[in-house]
Amino acid sequence: MTKEKNNALHLGIDLGTSRSSVSASNGQHHVVESYIGWPVDMVARKLIKKPVLFGHEALENRPMLDLHRPLERGLIKEGSEKDELAVRELIRHLISLVEPQSNQKVLAVVGVPAEALRVSKQHLRNAVKGVADALMIVSEPFAVAYGMDALLHTMIIDIGAGTTDFCVMNGRYPTEEDQRTLTNAGDSVDEQLATMLRARVPEAQFSIHMVRSWKEQWSFVGEPPRAVEVTVPVNGKPTVIDITADMRRACESLLPPIVETMLDLVSRVDPEYQEKVRRNVILAGGGSQIPRLSEALEGALADVGGGHVRAVEDPVFAGSKGSLAIALDAPESDWERLPG
Amino acid sequence: MTPPSARRHVARLKRAMLRDAVAENLAIIEGLPKRRTHRVPRNSWLWWIPVTVVALGILVGTLKPTAAGRGRPQPDESVATGVAVRQDAERAKPEQLPMLSAPRAVDPATFRLAVRRVVVDPGHGGNDPGAMTRGMREKDLTLDVARRLNAALRAVGFEVVMTREGDETVSLHQRVVAANDAHGDLFLSIHVNSIPTPVRRGVETYVLGTTSDPRVEKLAGAENSGSGYSLADFRRLLEGVLIDVRHDESRRFAQKVQNHMFAALRRSNPELEDRSVKQAPFVVLVGTEMPGVLAEVSCLSNPEDTLLLKDGNYRQSIAEALAAGVRDYAASRERATAVARRGPGAL
Repeated sequence: MTKEKNNALHLGIDLGTSRSSVSASNGQHHVVESYIGWPVDMVARKLIKKPVLFGHEALENRPMLDLHRPLERGLIKEGSEKDELAVRELIRHLISLVEPQSNQKVLAVVGVPAEALRVSKQHLRNAVKGVADALMIVSEPFAVAYGMDALLHTMIIDIGAGTTDFCVMNGRYPTEEDQRTLTNAGDSVDEQLATMLRARVPEAQFSIHMVRSWKEQWSFVGEPPRAVEVTVPVNGKPTVIDITADMRRACESLLPPIVETMLDLVSRVDPEYQEKVRRNVILAGGGSQIPRLSEALEGALADVGGGHVRAVEDPVFAGSKGSLAIALDAPESDWERLPG
Repeated sequence: MTPPSARRHVARLKRAMLRDAVAENLAIIEGLPKRRTHRVPRNSWLWWIPVTVVALGILVGTLKPTAAGRGRPQPDESVATGVAVRQDAERAKPEQLPMLSAPRAVDPATFRLAVRRVVVDPGHGGNDPGAMTRGMREKDLTLDVARRLNAALRAVGFEVVMTREGDETVSLHQRVVAANDAHGDLFLSIHVNSIPTPVRRGVETYVLGTTSDPRVEKLAGAENSGSGYSLADFRRLLEGVLIDVRHDESRRFAQKVQNHMFAALRRSNPELEDRSVKQAPFVVLVGTEMPGVLAEVSCLSNPEDTLLLKDGNYRQSIAEALAAGVRDYAASRERATAVARRGPGAL
């Protein structure tokens, strides 16, 4: 995508709880982990040699940083100036990654978790003030649907880290009634897995970041594709622990609330179109990559007449590409009304 | 290959949606409510009934003299919010106890209709070990159960705020402030009992209130230790609280928690006694502004209970029973909301 209108750089940004991505009309696209950290003191500043760190670099240096993950649980923390600043810095960083030219106008569409848009839209708007020449905020599932032209009789289930967002596309801009948000998402799987391991092997030493990386490598629902074994220090000695059953239980904890919400939303669709929606369920977000999740959800839909569930091909950039599509389609007259 | 007519249809939909997305953003910039783009159901006016009742309740609540003041506003009513309490605490001299204000009596309609955020309070911690026996400390057990409860509640969609995350000293006042600051919908304090008669064992759940039972008085004294509040403080506070709808809701919540705890734990602990829902003047239940209970989830003074508490599966059962109590209470609130939405005559 290289459309340039009046020397403007159009950007689509997916501001996620765990990862944020940017796709630009100059063809660049990048992803960073949604961590922002400021050195805690003079010593840290001297060692790090940067005023602020982002993503993986921030995570690696976390002992020396005041580390923020600004959209934890899908919401910007109300009243937390540091989190508002973190959102602003993160968007600035994403914009800098796509290298806009000095004379180029930056027109950005930022996709945020649906709950953040519903609950803290004013905070979000304040947080992003001044980062671009013009800026529009939309909900992530809408951006995904827009980018895929899936605007009619479709359900988007965006399983992120902090939230799982549902959005039924009925051929109109989604209202609150068309959307739902659950806090059962990637982070809750991590917490469950960590709790189960702590209970089973109390002496094992591991961090939530280790648990998250295990989940990202070996998550699954249904019958285990292989044994999942991890090596962790137990009383200081590296020990192999089989976490297959714990991994399955933690990942499958997502199923009941997602199934319940999916079926509830389907039941609210005009009866004439319910079957079409059931046959058009699209999974997005990092959670969409959990092996056999689509099949498990199709199993649940079988009880109400069957359906088809598919995952987006590019979960990392589906949101930012959708936001970019919105940015490119928005007429210039609209951009003029939307200050950055 | 998509037919041209379908492409034109998608393009039309996109233009319409873009207009609405821009309109929503303009509304946000101007601080206006979002433009509604869907047709309004014919009976949508019914939704305004609970909203109007809540709004009126808030208005009346701010104008009417409170029961605590018996006709005149109390000087400390203005610090009923968590933020104000924290500011007071920060200003207070070290030896001066921050004012613990009695929450105002409120109209039931002003309570939030849905339970979304639960404040979980693991009792004791840090310098305060709580009850101890055979190398087991109440503070460790309550934290362990609280962490499991946290996971169980999050797994079914609740937000959870913990008053302490690790083995740290958190005063009772700080717990109250944390709960109020978090704007929790429910408050659940977890403790492990210690009964003078070691053969007795059981679970009991407390709501705020006075008591004439000397054993319960002693228990409240132990759990409140270090709070610094006098009996006179309590009397003043309770006058304002007991008539509060919070008390009724706390009782309902306590009954759900007690029922689930007893039913679930009896399976692995057949000798367990249902020591029922009781009332006692616990500090953490005085200042919290949401329905709250204190659950004594087992007895460390009983050797069999102590053995069971060593087992992670038993502690998991306790956490799951508490979570079931929260879920059950939340569901009952939702049912009440649904009835309110259907309007008069729904029952």
